[in-house]
Amino acid sequence: MEQPNDLIIAMQNGDEKAFSRLYTMYGEAIYGIIYSIVLDENTAEELVQDVFIKVWNNASSYSVKKGRFFTWLLNIARNTAIDETRSKAFKNTRKNLSTTNFVDILSSSDSLNRATNAIGLKKFVDALKPACIKIIDLLYFKGFTQAEASKTLEIPIGTIKTRNRTCINELRVMVLG
Amino acid sequence: MTPEEIIASGNLELYVCGALPPEEATEVEEAIALHPEIKREIELIEESLLHLAETVAPPLEAMTWTYILNSIRNVKDMGDSKVRSLNWPAITGWAAAILFMGGIMWMLKQTNDLNNSLQVTTTENTVLKEEKSTVENQLAENNKTLEILRSKDYQAYTLPGNQAVAPEAFAKVYFNKKENVAYIDVKGLPAPPRGKVYQVWSLKMEPLTPTSVGLIDSQSEAGEGIYKFINFPAPEAFGITLEPEGGSETPTLSQLYTLGMITI
Repeated sequence: MEQPNDLIIAMQNGDEKAFSRLYTMYGEAIYGIIYSIVLDENTAEELVQDVFIKVWNNASSYSVKKGRFFTWLLNIARNTAIDETRSKAFKNTRKNLSTTNFVDILSSSDSLNRATNAIGLKKFVDALKPACIKIIDLLYFKGFTQAEASKTLEIPIGTIKTRNRTCINELRVMVLG
Repeated sequence: MTPEEIIASGNLELYVCGALPPEEATEVEEAIALHPEIKREIELIEESLLHLAETVAPPLEAMTWTYILNSIRNVKDMGDSKVRSLNWPAITGWAAAILFMGGIMWMLKQTNDLNNSLQVTTTENTVLKEEKSTVENQLAENNKTLEILRSKDYQAYTLPGNQAVAPEAFAKVYFNKKENVAYIDVKGLPAPPRGKVYQVWSLKMEPLTPTSVGLIDSQSEAGEGIYKFINFPAPEAFGITLEPEGGSETPTLSQLYTLGMITI
């Protein structure tokens, strides 16, 4: 998928329609990232709103020449969600989130997005090695650095990079065919 | 590094995840600009990760977008109207406060002024009351004197002026023989010069014996211009002379102003 640079530039110039189309393209993925961190639908929806309001207000801080738009969104979403998990109100209601990953969500939830896809996903979730689940969860969903992931998973930092590539390759084959 | 090596390095996956250190990310960006296949590779990585995240998400409510849209529009509207409308309540508030303070100051001043004028009026009232009581006393005194002079016990005598000294002068004497009391009205006498005083004499004619009865001064004053003398020895004539202050033993005849005989 090519990055829609014309939409991004239009949004940066205050075009609400362009912003709406970007929301349609990225909104669900951002919701998924946030949900995997806060594990509460209402909180996650509120945070999606916060994230896209931030995106609109800070649109000028992104440049199409530097970095992927999706990566930029990802950073805002993960930081917003992690900030929420550190808030007092959040801590009072939930604990021990770090042990839950995206596969747990897929296996436990019965109200998943894109029902048809979810059936197929069951298969690839089963197919993904536990090591892959862990590394994708940390680097992609939780926004860990290589060093942090290396420490958490107790594997060498060089291995993190190659294992991540292998795992995402497996994912690609299953998702994109 | 060749494009193939870059693709195989695992850096592109980390780059999309946002886990690549900045200096290596810059290298990737340079490679993207140079090699379309690297760009393509990144797009595929991104797409599969995007789909993965989407599958994790519960259904996204349509209201979420409505809320976002309302929020960004409100922010814009507030930005437009801030200067014009948001200050009004504050301005109105301050204006009201200033008016209120001004009103209080004005009322305080009014109260102060009223208090002052009330005080002045009260003082004036006191002065007027005192004056009134003085006048009333005087009137009572005069009435009393008038009553006395009108009573039948008193005989009135007019002492004509001495032709040599004061031809225009005269004095009136009201005399009660029984009680030996005399009232003398000196309105017809000129005011005594400084250091001089009128002295009243009771005169026996054969032989001429003057007896001082008293001085016309504030001690003997009974009413306006009327002087009262008690223990007045039964006279045959009355005389009034001008004497040095304090009076004299014997009358200074050269300064005899009035003299009158009692005719019985």
